[in-house]
Amino acid sequence: MSTLATAAGCSVDVLDCGDAAVRVALTGGREDAWRAAHGIAAVLDAAAHVGFLGTLPTYDAVLVEFDCTATDLASVREWVRDAAARVDDVAPRACRTFTVPVVYGGTFGPDLDAAASHLGVTAAEVVALHTARPLLMRCFGAPAGAPMLDGPAFPRPVPRLASPRPHVPAGAAAVAGRQAVISARPAPGGWHVLGTTPLTLVDPSREPLSPYWPGDSFQFVAIGEDAFDANRGPLA
Amino acid sequence: MSAHLTITRPGISYVTDLGRPGAGRVGQMTAGALDQYSVRVANTLVAADEHAPLLEVVAADFAMVTSVNLLIAVTGAPADVAVSGVPVPQWEPFLWPAGSQLTVTNMRVGMRVYVAIHGSLAVPRLLGSCAPDSVLGFSGPLRRDDRVEVDPSSLLIDYCYFGVPVFRVGAVPSAFGDRWEIPVTDGPDRDQFGATADRLHRGLFVVGDKSNHIGLRLTPGIKAVLPVRERSDEILSRGVPIGAVEVPAGNELLVLHRGRGVTAGYPVLAVVTTVGLSRLGQVRSGQSVSFPRVSVEDAVAAARAERWAIDQLRRRLVGVLEAHGLRPQALTSSR
Repeated sequence: MSTLATAAGCSVDVLDCGDAAVRVALTGGREDAWRAAHGIAAVLDAAAHVGFLGTLPTYDAVLVEFDCTATDLASVREWVRDAAARVDDVAPRACRTFTVPVVYGGTFGPDLDAAASHLGVTAAEVVALHTARPLLMRCFGAPAGAPMLDGPAFPRPVPRLASPRPHVPAGAAAVAGRQAVISARPAPGGWHVLGTTPLTLVDPSREPLSPYWPGDSFQFVAIGEDAFDANRGPLA
Repeated sequence: MSAHLTITRPGISYVTDLGRPGAGRVGQMTAGALDQYSVRVANTLVAADEHAPLLEVVAADFAMVTSVNLLIAVTGAPADVAVSGVPVPQWEPFLWPAGSQLTVTNMRVGMRVYVAIHGSLAVPRLLGSCAPDSVLGFSGPLRRDDRVEVDPSSLLIDYCYFGVPVFRVGAVPSAFGDRWEIPVTDGPDRDQFGATADRLHRGLFVVGDKSNHIGLRLTPGIKAVLPVRERSDEILSRGVPIGAVEVPAGNELLVLHRGRGVTAGYPVLAVVTTVGLSRLGQVRSGQSVSFPRVSVEDAVAAARAERWAIDQLRRRLVGVLEAHGLRPQALTSSR
C-alpha cells in the first residue's frame, strides 16, 4: 500500500474494496481524519465523474462506490488524489443544532441504570452528562441514516450490552464506547438505551429524508413521561 | 384508456428496479433487485431503460392479468411461465395479450424471476427509485387485487401483429444449479485474519434460512472451516461495500447484499464480485456456495464482459424492432 496523497494533514491511502468500491483511509489526528474524509466526499459528490455512484464518509475513511464497467481503478485513484488536494477549498456548511426532547429511564430508557452502574455514577448524573452540551454528528449510520454522535463526557467508555436487544424502537437515544446515537427506525441494537425521543428523525415522504448532516449537533433535553405525546413531530 | 396490471396471485412479489446507489450518502440502503443481471437483460429485451421498474417474483407461484397488449420478457430463475396456460419462453420478449393471465409457477433452482414490460409502470419513487426499503417502510410486497398502473403514453409500440414469441434475440440466461461458485476479491481487512483468511476459499458453505436482501448467513459445510480474526481491537464504523464478507460472532459467515446497513465496525475479509452478486441473489437457503479467490482485474473483466453482452443484446433488439418499422427511441437508452 503506497500513500496516494495528503489531505488536512492526513495521509490518504486507497484500498481495494471489491471491483466496484475503494476504501479511502485517512491516517492522522482524529479531527483531521474526520475533516479530510468529509471534505473528500464533498468534492467527489460535487464532481460527479462518469461512473461515480456515491460516497460513504465516516470517521477516518470514505467508501467510494463506482460502476467498474464505466470507469476504472486508475481513474478513481485520480479522482481521490484530486479531491484530497481540494479539501481545503470546500466551503464550510452552516451547521445546525437540533434540540431533542428525551424521556429518560423506565420503559423509555431501559438501560439507564445499567449504564450508571457501569460508570459508577447515579442515573441522574448520566442524564446530566447526556444533556450537558450539544453532541457533534460525525456521520450517518445504519440502519436508516441514524446520526452517529460523539459520546457525552462520561468518565469512561460504556460497554456494549452482553446480549443485544432484538427490538429497539425509533427515537431510542443510546450510548456505547465513546459514541452516542438516536435510532432512526426500529432495529435490533446492542447499545445502552438511556431514553427515547418522541421526534421522528427520518420520513420517506419528506425531502430530504432527514434534516441533519455530519457537522450538525444534537442538544438533548430531559422531559417528563407525560410530555412525550405533546412533543411528537418531525425533528426540525 | 386505463392501462394496468392486476395481481391475481401475489405469492411473494414486488415492483422494484436496480435500486438507489446514491442513498448511502444519507445512510439509507442501496436496495433494488438482488439479481441485477437478470433485471438488466429483462428490461433490455423489452426496449426499456435498464433502470425501469419491473416485477420481482420470489420463489412462490404468481399470476397477474393485463388490461392492454404488452411486450414483456421474463428472466431470472427457471420456472413454468405461461400466458392463458400456454407456455412461453424465458429470456425472450413476447406479446402478452390484453385480458389474459400470465402465470409464473414451479420456480425450481433459483429464487427470483423478473417480469419486465415495455411501458412505464406508474409507481412511487424514493430518491429516484421504486425499490422497496424494508427499514424505512417504503413500498412493500404486492397483494391480491393490487393494480399497477401502466402509463399509456409510454406504450410506443403497437405490436398486435406479432405472434408469440415475437423475436429471438439471443439473451444469455444465467446458469443455475444446486452448488454456486461466487467469486470474491480480497477485502481491505483480510490481513486481520492472518493465515486463516484462506479458509474462505476452501470447502463449501451452506446458506441458512435467516438470509434475505440484507445479507446471507452461511455455516461451514463440507471441508470448510471459518476464518478467525486474529485481533480484538474495536474498529471505527466505516462504509460497507455491497458484497462484504464478514465473520461476526457465532459459527457463521455474513455476506452482505443490497439491503445492507451502509456503515459497520466489522473487518471486511473479502468482497463478492459484481458478477457474483447477481448469482448470489438467486441462491436458496440450504444450498452450498464456494468462494473462489479472484483478482480485482479479473472481476472487472467479468463485469465488463457481462456489460458488453447486454449492450450487444440491446443493439440486436433495436435492429429487430427497426426492421419491423418500429422505433422504440425514447426507451432504448441505457444509462
